[in-house]
Amino acid sequence: MIQLEKINFVLLFIAVSVLDPVAANRANGQIEEPIQRWKKVFDFNTEVMPVFTKFGCNSGACHGAAVGRGGFKLSLYGGNPTSDYESIVRHSRGRRVNLANPERSLLLKKSTEMIEHGGGAVLDLDGEAAQRLTAWISQGAIQHRSATNRPTLVKLDVTPRKKVLDSAGSQVELSAIAFFADSSEKDVTAWTVFTAEDKSAVSIDSESTYAKVLRRGRHVVVARFLDKVVPIELIVPLADQSVNYSNAPTSNFIDEEIFKTLEMLRLPLSPEVDDATFLRRATLDLTGRLPNENRVAKLFNSESLERSALVEELLSSNEFVDYWTYKLAKLLRIHPQTDNPAGANSYHRWIAKQLANHVGYDKIAQELILATGDTLENGPANFYATVRGPREQAELVSEVFMGSRLRCANCHNHPLDRWTQDDYHGLSAIFARVEMGRFIKPKPTGEVIHPRTTVPAAMQIPGETPFSVEVKNGRAPFADWLTRRNNPFFAKAIVNRIWKEMMSRGLVEPVDDFRDTNPATHPDLLERLAEDFVNSGYDLRHTIRLIASSASYARSSNAIDGNKDDDRFYSHAIRTELQPEVLADAISDVLGVSEKFGELPLGTRAITLVDPKVNSRTLDVLGRCGRMDSCDDDSSRGGGLTQKLHLFNGALLNARILAENSRLQILASHGKSMMEIVHQFYRAGFSRLPTDKEHRFWQSKLSNADKNEQKKILEDFVWGMLTSEEFSTNH
Amino acid sequence: MATAKRCDGISRRDAIRVGGLTALGLGLGDFFHLKNSFANEQPVKLSGESSRAKSCILIWLDGGPTHLETFDPKPNAPEEVRGPFGTIATKLTGVRINECLPLSAMKLDQFSIIRSMTSPLGEHNFGTHYLMTGYKPTPALEYPTFGATLAHLRSKESATSILPPHIAVPNFGVGGSNLSGHGYLPSATGPFSVGGNPSKPDFKVRDLDFYKGLDLTRLDRRKQFSKAFDQFSREKDASNFQSDPNLERAYNLIASSKAKAAFDLSKETATVRNRYGMGGGVSIGQSCLLARRLVERGVPFVTVNNTGWDTHQNLKNLKSRFTNDRNAPLPALDRAFSALIEDLSERGMLDETLVVVMGEFGRTPKINSTGGRDHWPKAFSVVVAGGGIRGGQVIGSSDALGEFPKDDPVTPQDFAATLYTLLGIDPNHEMRTIDGRPVRVVMDGAKVIKDLI
Repeated sequence: MIQLEKINFVLLFIAVSVLDPVAANRANGQIEEPIQRWKKVFDFNTEVMPVFTKFGCNSGACHGAAVGRGGFKLSLYGGNPTSDYESIVRHSRGRRVNLANPERSLLLKKSTEMIEHGGGAVLDLDGEAAQRLTAWISQGAIQHRSATNRPTLVKLDVTPRKKVLDSAGSQVELSAIAFFADSSEKDVTAWTVFTAEDKSAVSIDSESTYAKVLRRGRHVVVARFLDKVVPIELIVPLADQSVNYSNAPTSNFIDEEIFKTLEMLRLPLSPEVDDATFLRRATLDLTGRLPNENRVAKLFNSESLERSALVEELLSSNEFVDYWTYKLAKLLRIHPQTDNPAGANSYHRWIAKQLANHVGYDKIAQELILATGDTLENGPANFYATVRGPREQAELVSEVFMGSRLRCANCHNHPLDRWTQDDYHGLSAIFARVEMGRFIKPKPTGEVIHPRTTVPAAMQIPGETPFSVEVKNGRAPFADWLTRRNNPFFAKAIVNRIWKEMMSRGLVEPVDDFRDTNPATHPDLLERLAEDFVNSGYDLRHTIRLIASSASYARSSNAIDGNKDDDRFYSHAIRTELQPEVLADAISDVLGVSEKFGELPLGTRAITLVDPKVNSRTLDVLGRCGRMDSCDDDSSRGGGLTQKLHLFNGALLNARILAENSRLQILASHGKSMMEIVHQFYRAGFSRLPTDKEHRFWQSKLSNADKNEQKKILEDFVWGMLTSEEFSTNH
Repeated sequence: MATAKRCDGISRRDAIRVGGLTALGLGLGDFFHLKNSFANEQPVKLSGESSRAKSCILIWLDGGPTHLETFDPKPNAPEEVRGPFGTIATKLTGVRINECLPLSAMKLDQFSIIRSMTSPLGEHNFGTHYLMTGYKPTPALEYPTFGATLAHLRSKESATSILPPHIAVPNFGVGGSNLSGHGYLPSATGPFSVGGNPSKPDFKVRDLDFYKGLDLTRLDRRKQFSKAFDQFSREKDASNFQSDPNLERAYNLIASSKAKAAFDLSKETATVRNRYGMGGGVSIGQSCLLARRLVERGVPFVTVNNTGWDTHQNLKNLKSRFTNDRNAPLPALDRAFSALIEDLSERGMLDETLVVVMGEFGRTPKINSTGGRDHWPKAFSVVVAGGGIRGGQVIGSSDALGEFPKDDPVTPQDFAATLYTLLGIDPNHEMRTIDGRPVRVVMDGAKVIKDLI
């Protein structure tokens, strides 16, 4: 009997040692007193976890990868201390921590490369980090000391947040103070990871936490401690000579903010544009077309342009509605679905109607998110026919309305931003409750499986707590949260997009990549624009008008020597290529010959097209967006050798330059002189008259040729104009 | 950090560390020996020996080709890993590959398989960027692909050559079509897509022939006028503006009948065309044949984009999609790849032409519920031929299930370093972005695969 008990005890002991080494050691009486050297007792969540981030253990390249590394998995950048505690203390049969002999813990042996470690010698055995781990283990390798003593980080205060330095080569000392829920604070500089976005611009000495700026410009350094990420701006002015804009003409707070930044960077200003340039710029930006030729003619009959009246006129035109419907259609990725092609037309019509009726953007968003019904008849219901699947819908919603790429949080917590897997799958869960197809309606049993927990994800607004199980319809609270006044994403996302449409570059770029580690070039300006937009009732025209009436909007795109390297601070305007549909329409207008798009009637303008894949070689060559994915990154789509080959030898320009009813042929047949024709084209294509120099140049080309040759020269002149940068850009 | 170093430079910790190694049979003496030998290791020199390759043809299997159904089958693994296909012997004893690749199997002495490629990126866009540039994608910067870097660094040659230095057949819609291909390098180094379908009888690159009524003189004048407009409009601008160089390149291409002939597949005999394989939509065979023609005429880099490898469902489609299907992906690849090697070899071009077959990642060892495999970047295979490499090798290996590398893991940056070295480019060379930021051709720490060179 006694034998049996002994065996049982031995078996029990073995079982316990295998399953719970900590308990086993305790049962064995082998636990040591916390080694007297360390008077301090280390908290796992706030004092041990930072070690793994500081030394890169939990980075995506190492144990923070989705499958971990070498059989050891940590949460990416320490996003989940509890699961990390489990991995370290309980997994791998408890070999990772050795309470009896802390130095023999795998956690220490591997990290100090006392045994083979794929990551090399990450920690120094004599160093503070290894000492801290050793101490923690010898203190019992416990996660929480008590039920009440659980320090929680509420704020990370980083200094400096923004600093202007004198010259390249200057250094600045970085520091970080952590504030906890119990009102305590601690200097955690040594445990904060400071990373320069551009390592060739800023070098950081991790020992002394000094950052050295190596190049002029504005550079971002990101500070990370536990789950808090804070950006730092380090600025070395681009010139030695200071500039003062206190007397520069300022129309509104946009100019105030831009001038503030230009002064800090010591960037000189390019001059203001003339009326002709403003006319072309504003007309393109607001209506997607070249200015009416009569209006151009008036300008050159010495009638000066009333700029604000022009802006008002453009804002209240039908052409404005057409153009900004096109912009919203691209944002929402409106395209015909194979099983219900006509739905896209309803959708497109509905968007146009909202714009025509000055409906607030918050109402538009709400109607889209809460839409139900027959997609054939109910336009907004097509919001749920754009992508297939709740996760895809969550990604669409976050990119479009929050300006944020939640998609990275699918497989792990987002490495550069605040989003967790719970946020991603929680938002997907809300859309899983929507039946998608021809008819959009609630689906009370829809769910998505959370990949980590392997059970259905709880519905959740990103960044908030999960809904209780009683909540059946998550769309309503989500729409409510999104369009609430103090929502930190909604207004900024749309205002940033409007800004980009008008000024060529978002204050945050890319426009769907808002994150703490990607600060705006002008954060205060973005705040003010957003607040102003909300106060206006989310009125798109209001913000467009505000921007169009600023002095900054009217700046020339011609750089001067002192500001030619500025590509984001608006010391000069930024040239931008016309969108493919806009360019196609402009070419048609100048040549006087329309193009056919699919089976649609001749004369249909490209920006009014609902189907982004309607048959059109022209639009393919010019690189239109297919809207199956986001249209935000247009850069790699068009242009290149293929486009130029087509411009040379294809039909796009050639067929219509020669056409009988083309502007060139009509002017020639009406007996206009060569130079009159040249001037007409300048007015039509460039919205201005040729300079004296240009006039003389074309005259010299034409004057020595016979009539036949002159005709050909003019054709080549028109071709040259339509392929020139001045024509195909907004400048 | 405090480390007590002894006078000979060995830190106390190193000594302790070595102590830990005695179980492996290494005493202190051995350790010193090893340490010294690493210190003396020379960086790879780009001598004539190792950089014979003048051009490269990248056969890109878009979608993530399954390593288990191509070059790294596991015939002894359990059923749920093995897959529906059998394996065949190859020219190399003991090495077996998928049963659908018999022609390539016969040529295994002329190419090598890397079975231990590994990457952490299992998403199409990210994986494609990583494999095609040797750099993981970052929000800060898109990196240039091999072809773009080559075009850029050989710009002296590119400047005089008429054919674009970087060509994609039929297009560059790789990894979701979000890669520009040139990254931070000038857009002129990006790939020129020939477009169309090389297996169609009327295949030609569009817009190379004059529009009716036009000739070279007219085109020349048009080009000059376009540039004149640009110069006028930028008179008051201080930036360093250049007219789009593509205008000049397009003109030069149109003007050269020799260059245009490069794209004319009708100049090849029917025997040759059939050897490569004609059918299967945009035929991989004809694309490879076109690539050979281009490389023959001095084009440094051609990417053949072969889509359809993202086999989340029904692996059997890789062999045959319907009755009497002769052009399913695997047989088509086999035909095209073996024909290309044979053709290059017969023309004496194999030593100077590197051929690479790869995709953005491999596929899951465990077959999924629809009979397919999902993304798996942890272990996959890459095939290399020509360009002076040592053929007939299997480099590295994956474990019994094809899940992780077992020996000699090779990262995409290691592969990039090797490829550039073979093409005569120093992986440590620094290029510059538009705002002057220096960027290495290959990231720091990448190791050339010695066994290949």
